[in-house]
Amino acid sequence: MTTERTYESAVGRVEEIIRRLDSGDAGLRETLELVKEGRGLVEYCATELEAVSQGLEELRLEELVARLETGNAEP
Amino acid sequence: MTQLQSAPAEGIPDSHLPGPYPVGSYSAQLKRRLLEFARVQLVGEVWGLRASAARVYFELRDASGALPCSMWRNEFDQLGVRLAEGMRIVVGGGCDYYPGSATSSPSFMFAVAELRVAGEGDLLVQLERLRRALHGAGLFEPQKRLTRPLLPRTIGVITGERGKARDDVLAGLRRRGWAGRLVWAFVPVQDRHAAPMVGAALRELASIEHVEVVIVARGGGSLADLFAFCDESLCRTVALLRVPVISSVGHHTDRTLIDDVAAVCCSTPTHAAEAAVPIDCRAARAELAASARQLRNHSRRAVLVRARNLAHLSRAPAAHVARQRRSLHQLLRELRASARRELQRGRSLADVHLLVLRRTAARAESSDATRRVRELERLSLALGAHDPDRTLARGYALVQDRAGDPLTTAEAARRAGSLAIQFHDGTLAAEAVDE
Repeated sequence: MTTERTYESAVGRVEEIIRRLDSGDAGLRETLELVKEGRGLVEYCATELEAVSQGLEELRLEELVARLETGNAEP
Repeated sequence: MTQLQSAPAEGIPDSHLPGPYPVGSYSAQLKRRLLEFARVQLVGEVWGLRASAARVYFELRDASGALPCSMWRNEFDQLGVRLAEGMRIVVGGGCDYYPGSATSSPSFMFAVAELRVAGEGDLLVQLERLRRALHGAGLFEPQKRLTRPLLPRTIGVITGERGKARDDVLAGLRRRGWAGRLVWAFVPVQDRHAAPMVGAALRELASIEHVEVVIVARGGGSLADLFAFCDESLCRTVALLRVPVISSVGHHTDRTLIDDVAAVCCSTPTHAAEAAVPIDCRAARAELAASARQLRNHSRRAVLVRARNLAHLSRAPAAHVARQRRSLHQLLRELRASARRELQRGRSLADVHLLVLRRTAARAESSDATRRVRELERLSLALGAHDPDRTLARGYALVQDRAGDPLTTAEAARRAGSLAIQFHDGTLAAEAVDE
């Protein structure tokens, strides 16, 4: 079963990875794999943050519904 | 209306009604008529209590009607009662009317001269009963079990279009550094239409997949004004929504039922906005950059440290041999020194032994000679004891044949015939003769 990736889950995993790396117990292969995974997660989080940093978009509920009906509601 | 003076203006053509009269005259007449109404006692619940320097204003309500009331402030203060919203009271007084003027608005009120607290208001009792029923049905929990996103992209807000709550929500989001998509659902937030429209907006927002959290906000007001947010149907709607609802209705002292069923209840719309975006986006960006730096450092260190380690290890055998060689040389030096010391010590010991041996030998040598003399003397004595001459000296004689062999028996002497008898002082020849 795969769990949907969310900002909070990604941040939590990055913190976990950094704790593991800081412990110094990870071998070279594991370190490189963790760093690779961490970079991917950081990139995901940066995308999420970017999505809420582009400028406030205010819509009325009716407008959003209308956009949904025309299939033009992607953030 | 015979007392009223006609105005000089023309009336409405074809109208059967008298007049037109100046409104001031009419309103003064109305005041007089109202003052003629019987002074009575009324019972109801207090709503919208407010006080000015001169008067205290409130509405007296029950299930079928309401009446605006006012009382002189000094008379109210003398009573020493503390009125609260929804409190059931009995008032005594009569109708009054302020006719207004060219610059002030008219108003009707029941002028209260006496007041007594009758007990807890029915509406508050109903509210408490409904709160217990919702709690008993487990409707306070479902919203609190929902996961609230740390960083929602789309937030729905239900509020009044011209209320201050709207600005407060925006201020809260700005404070978080959040600038995503905000979907406004403007609805009436007071009166009997409010609850169904808030419920409909909630259902519609929750049905949109993009909306991750909904804020229901309304500024302060009397409990009567906020009563729409205690509607049972609205509360049940909120409790069963898939998206978390953050409520901010009224002041922090007010507690409506939607506050109980919502995922989070906030004291102000600003706080509600901050609860909808639990993280500070600017701080989150800084933390993310720090995490990225840490990962980069770990990646670089992981290779560099190991490369240094490998280089160190590659030099290790030669260093190890050199170390072992130095160690061996040292051991060799120690061994030689030790051998020299041991040899020296052996020599000293040998000298001591030699000295001791010499002394011992000297002692042994002297004692051995004495012992041998004594032994010789003993042997000499033993030998002397066996000397036949000494036996002969004591009177014994030795019989021999001619050849000189001793004869020890008479038979042997008879056979020999000629005998030589040796005494200690000489030998005699004799012949054996049988008797």
